[in-house]
Amino acid sequence: MATDCCGPGYASPGDAIKAAREKLLYTVALYTGTGIQKPDYLATVDADPESPTYSQVIHRLEMPGIGDELHHTGWNACSSCHGDASMSRQYLLLPGVRSNNIYVVDTATDPRAPSLHKVIDGDEIKATTDLSGPHTIHCLGSDIIISFLGDANGEAPGGYLHVDEDFEIVGRWENSMGDIPYGYDFWYQPRHNAMITSEWAAPNTFMPGFDLEEVGHLKYGRRLHVWDFEKREPIQTMYLGEDGLLPLEVKFLHDPDSTHGFCCAALSSNIIHFWKTEDGPWDWEKVVDVENQMHPEWPIPLPGVMSALLVSMDDKYVYVNNWLHGDMRQYDITDPHNPRLTGQVWMGGLLGKAPQVNGVDVAGGPQMFQLSLDGKRLYVTTSLFSTWDNQFFPEIRQKGGVMVMIDCDVENGGMKINEEFMVNFGTEPNGPSRCHETRYPGGDCTSDIWL
Amino acid sequence: MHTAAITIANRDGATHVVDAGRPLLDTLLELGVDLPYGCRYGGCITCAAKLTAGEVNQEEQVALNNRQLNNGYIVPCVARPLSDCTLEVGVDSHDKLYRNPFLDPLEPHELKPNLVPPASPTTKDR
Repeated sequence: MATDCCGPGYASPGDAIKAAREKLLYTVALYTGTGIQKPDYLATVDADPESPTYSQVIHRLEMPGIGDELHHTGWNACSSCHGDASMSRQYLLLPGVRSNNIYVVDTATDPRAPSLHKVIDGDEIKATTDLSGPHTIHCLGSDIIISFLGDANGEAPGGYLHVDEDFEIVGRWENSMGDIPYGYDFWYQPRHNAMITSEWAAPNTFMPGFDLEEVGHLKYGRRLHVWDFEKREPIQTMYLGEDGLLPLEVKFLHDPDSTHGFCCAALSSNIIHFWKTEDGPWDWEKVVDVENQMHPEWPIPLPGVMSALLVSMDDKYVYVNNWLHGDMRQYDITDPHNPRLTGQVWMGGLLGKAPQVNGVDVAGGPQMFQLSLDGKRLYVTTSLFSTWDNQFFPEIRQKGGVMVMIDCDVENGGMKINEEFMVNFGTEPNGPSRCHETRYPGGDCTSDIWL
Repeated sequence: MHTAAITIANRDGATHVVDAGRPLLDTLLELGVDLPYGCRYGGCITCAAKLTAGEVNQEEQVALNNRQLNNGYIVPCVARPLSDCTLEVGVDSHDKLYRNPFLDPLEPHELKPNLVPPASPTTKDR
């Protein structure tokens, strides 16, 4: 945590690994698309094993209205302003993908019971910046940028919203989108003046659900883009083709000197490795290819749908999911060109390998996850996006989502589902909800960037 | 004001008289009907309802594919009534809205209207 001398976060990834264990988790939970006429909310989960309410939702912060579709979240500040003692990691930003609103939540005044600090109005964002469909948030020192997947009419490619430390709209961050057709996730590596962005689709394409035929009509992405971060413009496109259909989460290694990073191509169910070559341009390769699986009731083999990816803080492991198959995987990336499968567990999914976990029916499959800073605890949730959930796992309407904890062996590799931890969002007071992205008050493995 | 009578079949058949020049979602919400919604511009299907009688103008919608349209779905956030209408609303009306895209693919003519090539011109049109 911050000390008297310093701002938020940690001096280095090595310091982050040594931080105190997370005791609270913040997870967004949805009612959008479920039939329950209640707002989406930010759930506080007790992650302190010494607490009597361990593994329970202990607070729910409802959004002001219904229909936001909370999805990803991001901090106002991270280790990128560790040197600025005037900053603190106090506010969590919660974009509504469908409403376009950005909710700024104060998590510091009472960490167990966060409160709504400010709303950046979705209609104002559309009117002033021509953006809709917010997704990923990163802070840049004291400022914040947010990727948006569409223009005000929901058409691609969208762009990047720039807001200041008081959460006022500055305008568009980028100087040019070049010929980028789609946006989604992004990560930057300041020492190399590089940002990498990935491609999902236009909001008007993905919000109503997944029509497979639209992939063939090139309505979904298959590229990664390299940006000149200071000039705020794209400089190189890496065309992934059939190996990289729906490239979603993109992460650099945490080591700020590294140019290596990884992306998961959801529909191809491949891990893509990218890096900067010695000559200057960036290169990529497919390093993991999860084979489609036969399913007794399916006429065609079932793709894994690798929709999320993260890198452990020590840069030793990459974690990925296969939402439709139902497995979480751990790969040793000591040699980033040759990842080695070191752990795998099953929870939910369509292959029937683990319909129950710790006695609870799992609707959906492993989807979004967050790793503790020390790399030993992986918190996994099961909902992808309300309309897509409804297509592939319609029983999630009655059963809701779950959060599972996986114990990870950081020395020898390996994963095991923790039998003491299970948060069942199917039993929430207002009815079954669906949980998605998770963050911790002290920072986590998908927030912090070092300058 | 041009009005239309909107009957909601799965809410005890309640009938509401609305301004036909405005989107159904806006007028029905103002009358106290509890309806789901998301984007409010016709780009997502969170508010989708099934039209079982009557006609609407929803030319602004960009979310529904032709199969969903042929099954009677409308998005009330942009749909304006052209006549008296009967609707089924909410997720109870969504039995044919969602399908597993791998098990039940779309035919080319069932894609979203902007992805369906126009029918080849007839001799007369040339």
